[in-house]
Amino acid sequence: MRSQAMFFQEQAAQKACDPQMQKTLAYVRPLFVGKRKKGLEGLAADGLGFEEMRVACQEIRDRVVDNLDVWLELFEARAQATGAKVLWARDGDEVARLLVDLARQHGVRKVVKSKSMLSEEADLNTAFAAAGIESIETDLGEYIIQLAGETPSHIIAPAVHKTKEEVADLFVAHHGLPRQSDITALAREARGVLRQHFLSADMGVSGANFLVAETGSAALVTNEGNGRMVTTLPRLHVVIAGIEKIIPNLQDLATLMRLLPRSATGQSISNYVSVLTARGGLALDSPVQGPEKIVFVLVDNGRADLLGGEFASMLRCIRCGACMNHCPVYTAIGGHAYGWVYPGPMGSVLTPLYTSLKTAQDLPQATTGCNQCGAVCPVGIPLPELMRALRRRTFEEGLRPWLERLGYKVWAWAACHPRFYHWGVRRAVRYLKWLAGGEAFIRVLGMAPGWTGGRDLKAPPGRSFQELWADRKNRG
Amino acid sequence: MTKQDNHAARAEIMARVRQRLAPVTAADADVRKAQAEEAIRAVARGPQPRMTGDLVERLLRKLEEMSCTTDRVARLNEVPRAVARYLAANSLGLSAVTSPPLASLEWENAGVSVAVRGAADADLVGLTDCFCAIAETGTLMLHSAPDLPPTLSLLPETHVAVVPLERIVPTMEEAFARFRAQFSDMPPAVNFISGPSRTADIEQTIVLGAHGPCRVHVVLVG
Ligand code: SF4
Repeated sequence: MRSQAMFFQEQAAQKACDPQMQKTLAYVRPLFVGKRKKGLEGLAADGLGFEEMRVACQEIRDRVVDNLDVWLELFEARAQATGAKVLWARDGDEVARLLVDLARQHGVRKVVKSKSMLSEEADLNTAFAAAGIESIETDLGEYIIQLAGETPSHIIAPAVHKTKEEVADLFVAHHGLPRQSDITALAREARGVLRQHFLSADMGVSGANFLVAETGSAALVTNEGNGRMVTTLPRLHVVIAGIEKIIPNLQDLATLMRLLPRSATGQSISNYVSVLTARGGLALDSPVQGPEKIVFVLVDNGRADLLGGEFASMLRCIRCGACMNHCPVYTAIGGHAYGWVYPGPMGSVLTPLYTSLKTAQDLPQATTGCNQCGAVCPVGIPLPELMRALRRRTFEEGLRPWLERLGYKVWAWAACHPRFYHWGVRRAVRYLKWLAGGEAFIRVLGMAPGWTGGRDLKAPPGRSFQELWADRKNRG
Repeated sequence: MTKQDNHAARAEIMARVRQRLAPVTAADADVRKAQAEEAIRAVARGPQPRMTGDLVERLLRKLEEMSCTTDRVARLNEVPRAVARYLAANSLGLSAVTSPPLASLEWENAGVSVAVRGAADADLVGLTDCFCAIAETGTLMLHSAPDLPPTLSLLPETHVAVVPLERIVPTMEEAFARFRAQFSDMPPAVNFISGPSRTADIEQTIVLGAHGPCRVHVVLVG
């Protein structure tokens, strides 16, 4: 997927004024936050605290990320020992090329997919379409988005921005069946249509929530059961996963499963957790049901470059979506404004790192620094710090406008010269008080009108903090 | 794609990974690999839930929280009648597909006709046993095998699972431990099933029966 992050400011402004988007966001925000809270209460009822679990989850992820070279070799060897094939892809284009080639080699005409954000990085559906191969998203949210020709606006709830009326319109247009108006009937209709695709597909493509090194398996977490269909019915199963997705063993899966669904949807466990392994010792003609072949595609696409540096902690991410659900910026503008695959705080870190800092430089600016994201992240990623590090890098690489850079330089100089600084502040507060003209708020800030475009600035009392403090001390 | 090409991709990615990690890794790769293998073997458990009270009660409560229905009989040979009752009460017809572990029960006497095979699209009821049931979350653990087709718990709208009391374990960790004790290889699929399939993708409204079963009914035995 080509990044549109350079249009972030325009997009954000537009989404902030889009009544439909605002209605949706106002509705879902308390829902997401409340569900996670309830989920954690359930954990506490079993005597497990969030902090204790988070430390355990972070340790599991760090163990692998800090030694990724050896874990990759271990996973590869064990997956191959079960009979799986392991391929490697440097970037999204290579993923698309490998998958189209695999489909061709196996005479595939129809592909069913379960949700994979990585396949969005690779723009896989476009590549399949260009090769004349039908590919169908089967997660209901992704399916709706595919019919609409759009991109997901949330990593867990891709169609969160669509109303049931819009879904009904899409289904009438694509299914040619009578219009359904209630949500249950719409979900049923999708079940019927997609069931036929599951049964007739030759190849299933899934992501992996985790790659289990111990057994050379993919672990897949879904609620709808589409993940099971995609990995059970077609004769070929291709798993695409980032190189960082490895966990050591099945016990680690059990630990992570206590926080992943609770962080994402508040569920104590997702409806389906599947551990999928190639057929190992079983003969091809064994009557066991399942794909004849599993192929793992391990994808870099910018991940390796994060290792060993200040952004390495981002590779712990388990894609739960909690950071965006709790973000005041995400919940004000929704996911599309971010312009690439991953929205919210995690997207504000990943998009500049995986695409380009130059075009995505506005994303790490879009933060209030409130650390809601960092506080809820189940693997302890210091998201605000990472965004700040990116802002610093943006500045150092000279990517910000010259006026802003000059402003920072002046500020930095002044901050190092206290006398000058205090003199300046005294002048500034008096100017602002004068600007307010006796009113409590400033409506238009003369030199930076952008600041007061959507809000008023409270007028200062006319004397600086330092002055007031000195007064108080003298009086005291 | 030729095989050669993919070797190049692998080499390039591995080289990049090694190069980035070199300044921050203390030991050389062999030592770290041995440590990693040790971490796999250690099967150390993370923080464990402290569950109070009776496991069977906990399982029943959690199953119901996950939108399952439950029933309990004293002996295995009472299962067919219990299943017949459930099917009749919910007007689900009196035929089911199942696998060998349950096929030998007296289904005919209970008026249920069973076919022993993998499920097809048209089958309405899938009947399975399970490897174990996890009390912490109300989860059934099923695995695939030549005589245990995974489609039984996937394609039919109704999944009826039979759980003998001795198969109840507290946690997923314990389930894996039992599994390791019994099998040396992983089967193609191990599925943890917690209630009927569901979606909340349209307006965040939960609908049961997305792609998998709409109903999961659990019969405890013992
Ligand atoms: S950064 Fe943390 S909170 Fe955000 S999706 Fe990743 S794991 Fe979840």
